[in-house]
Amino acid sequence: MRVVLALLELTLLRGASTAVPEAEPLQNPPPRPADWSALSKLPDWSGVWTPFISDQFRRMTADPVPWKPEVARQIAALEAEEKAGRPKGLFVDCLPEGMPAWMLISHNAVEFLFTPGRVTMLGEMDGNRLRRIYTDGRPHPPDPDPTFHGHSTGRWEGQTLIVDTVAVLPQAYIAVSEAVGIPNDGDLHVVERVHLAQKDVLHDDLEIIAPRVLTRPWKTTRIWFRQRARKYDIVEGVCLQGFYAPRTDVAGNAVFAPIPHADGNPVPLAPEEPRR
Amino acid sequence: MKRLSPLLRAIAGTVLLLTAQADAHHSFAMFDFDKVVTITGTVKEFQWTNPHVVLWVDVPGKDPAKPDQWWLEMTSPGNLTRGGWNRKAFNPGDRVEVELNPLRDGKLGGALIKGTNRTTGQVFSTNLRDMEKPGLK
Repeated sequence: MRVVLALLELTLLRGASTAVPEAEPLQNPPPRPADWSALSKLPDWSGVWTPFISDQFRRMTADPVPWKPEVARQIAALEAEEKAGRPKGLFVDCLPEGMPAWMLISHNAVEFLFTPGRVTMLGEMDGNRLRRIYTDGRPHPPDPDPTFHGHSTGRWEGQTLIVDTVAVLPQAYIAVSEAVGIPNDGDLHVVERVHLAQKDVLHDDLEIIAPRVLTRPWKTTRIWFRQRARKYDIVEGVCLQGFYAPRTDVAGNAVFAPIPHADGNPVPLAPEEPRR
Repeated sequence: MKRLSPLLRAIAGTVLLLTAQADAHHSFAMFDFDKVVTITGTVKEFQWTNPHVVLWVDVPGKDPAKPDQWWLEMTSPGNLTRGGWNRKAFNPGDRVEVELNPLRDGKLGGALIKGTNRTTGQVFSTNLRDMEKPGLK
């Protein structure tokens, strides 16, 4: 019966979509002065935030991930390789770490921007290390394209930002270090509660729901310290630049030349020829 | 003048070509943090680029015509800037002494602990663990 009703509903909906005029596309309204002044009531997350790296490593043993047994075997092998000094490079291709790995293993600084209807997280590695968290009350789109960072909506509960992230690429890692992690394999859902634990200490309490690789949701925390000294300002950091060396071409132009690799390893560069 | 343990010197001597680990955004587990090696040589190139800054140093080896080429890795330019570094910390031709944690596989590379630029007299080192508190100067 339920199936028949569902089919009927589907038929009616299909019919309706051709019968009624097309709905106006959704708009992002211009912010009003009240929207800008509302930002002043939000907690102060200004400055540059540097990660608590020692705590990331401490949690590798203190805060174990509930991997499924078949995944745990792969993780154990990766851990053994890292311990033996042969770390597998999960991120050596310079693709973004994505969600949730960026939050879990970053050794780089981040900053937060508050604008009406949105919180934006900007990382230091590449222009694409960024998260757009929509706080304007919108739902997730019905069928968003999967991306490295997924689709994030947020809402403020007091001084805590609650972020809900879906539509992450199945290839994006759940990682506990740069050499230990596993692709989420699909259906990933991340819920975060981001808040100031102290005046200059930010906590991201994550709940990682990854039914393909975890036996149950994994709850963990990542910690960031606020810096205000100007030398801590975020700088541009293009990951792929490390694959190139500044050189001069035959016409005298400054160019990037690929660093030659053999068996995946960089080999010594020829000294730069003097400019003619 | 090269202060290298005899064992490492022997290993280094057998390596014909400097081959380092893949250079992009990786774990540092390939370095042996229980060992410290000091080398003295001349800067060949200082690559101030993400995700890891690289210092190439020529160190006199067995063959006077062909120095050993050491590959030394650090964190990112952003993180190093916070530790007081800059892109002119080392320049080609500068005489340097470098303290490093060597690659476990015995190849001529390592994670830089401290770099002394004898040409400029400046000393550079950085440890991200020293930045694990708020409000740093």
